[in-house]
Amino acid sequence: MDKKIQKINYIYLLCYIFVPLMVVSAGFLLGYYLFHDGGAGAVVCFMGFPLVAILWWSFGGKLLYKQHCKKLIRELDERGFSRNQTFDGRGSTVVVDLNRGELALVFFWNPFDHYILPAKRIERAWVDDGAAGAGFLRGSSRVSFLFLIDGVKIRVDTFTSNKRWRMDSDYILTGISKADVMVDVLNQAKERSA
Amino acid sequence: MGLFRKMRSMLHDDWCSKCQSEMDVVHKQLYALPTQRVGQYRQQDDPAYYKKNLVPVEKKAQIPTGMYACGMHVYRCPQCGHRAVKLTVFLPVRDQEKTEQLLYFEDGEMDDFIWR
Repeated sequence: MDKKIQKINYIYLLCYIFVPLMVVSAGFLLGYYLFHDGGAGAVVCFMGFPLVAILWWSFGGKLLYKQHCKKLIRELDERGFSRNQTFDGRGSTVVVDLNRGELALVFFWNPFDHYILPAKRIERAWVDDGAAGAGFLRGSSRVSFLFLIDGVKIRVDTFTSNKRWRMDSDYILTGISKADVMVDVLNQAKERSA
Repeated sequence: MGLFRKMRSMLHDDWCSKCQSEMDVVHKQLYALPTQRVGQYRQQDDPAYYKKNLVPVEKKAQIPTGMYACGMHVYRCPQCGHRAVKLTVFLPVRDQEKTEQLLYFEDGEMDDFIWR
């Protein structure tokens, strides 16, 4: 319960990036030395290995993260944790039990670990609407809610975009509303936490 | 009257669809819609759904964060007596509103709910 929160497992992060690169390099080396004259072996080495790497970067991490989220949900249900509010953000999932005042966390970059902790450990929770610019240029490309647990700041995005949207756009308003709801829920859980 | 006025009336929700006169607002009420939450909105067109789920509130501040709201305007035409009800389903977000759906009921579908 008192385990320090680790948002990123750096070994996993490095493996996520470099192991597929090593697989691609190994494929190229094998292809170069063993199938110098081409043929099916060369196709496998020069195309099959990179394909595996691309598949991993595209789907592997997400699959692993989703599997871990499912595992967490199963564990929560076994423990009698009431899943009053669940938010799946880009890169992290937050589940809140308002009855017991507990929350559960799992992070994309640390998919082998999860945290179930009392909400009283939340020091502060707030919304960042990402507003920037002045006048008619004022807008945002990201809305998130943040909370501090034992000095560790956790940011969960409720809206992200590769372009900037006006602050009164439907996307931004929906993102702000979702973030407001989550901050309310976290504060309620904190109040009810023993 | 003419075509031009008819076309203009299409842009004015408070103009009578029968005689194109400006209608009076005879009743206004704000409601909370507890069955609709942010991120899970489902469009509803059936007046029975609104009759069943609308909860009257005094002001927007009484609506919990993330819950949808519904503004009701009841119009009556002073010329021909035609009545219409406009429902505006929106998500209150701080001091702004995200309008989700506009519904018009012109055949008395909401009468039993309004005048109960």
